[in-house]
Amino acid sequence: STTTLTTPQNEVESLMHEMADEAGLDLNMELPQGQTGSVGTSVASAEQDELSQRLAKLRDQV
Amino acid sequence: ATADLGKDCEDNGERVRNHHKQAFEYISIALRIDEDDKGHKEQAVQWYKKGIAELEKGIALPITGEGEHYERAKRLQAKMTTNLIMAKDRLKLLEKLRTCSNVST
Repeated sequence: STTTLTTPQNEVESLMHEMADEAGLDLNMELPQGQTGSVGTSVASAEQDELSQRLAKLRDQV
Repeated sequence: ATADLGKDCEDNGERVRNHHKQAFEYISIALRIDEDDKGHKEQAVQWYKKGIAELEKGIALPITGEGEHYERAKRLQAKMTTNLIMAKDRLKLLEKLRTCSNVST
């Protein structure tokens, strides 16, 4: 099977937490007004990317 | 009036994120079941459907305006569209499999 190209989920998650740490955020914390936009959407985009990867991996798999 | 309009669009950006969050949760559950060879695909189908509904709601929200804030929201919607198509494809395949196995039993 072809699994070598996909990043493991735990790696993605730890990367997201790293990103959040750098920005000084707790992923589970409510963000202060005004910051919600950019950072929240960046995390959201990363999460959508993760779904894409996992869905791609399942493609044609029975 | 212009300020109100701007605020509306900003709220839509947040709404998109909220639908994303729900969709992400549902589809993550679906994937966890689906990735497991012994997972109950029927259950995965139900979670995919819930996730797809949330993606559709988030994508349908109009994002109008200029600037980084809107661009990010639009990019997020684009990614959600990609996943909507992929999740629908997966759903179609799973439902086809289910129909086939029902016929054979």
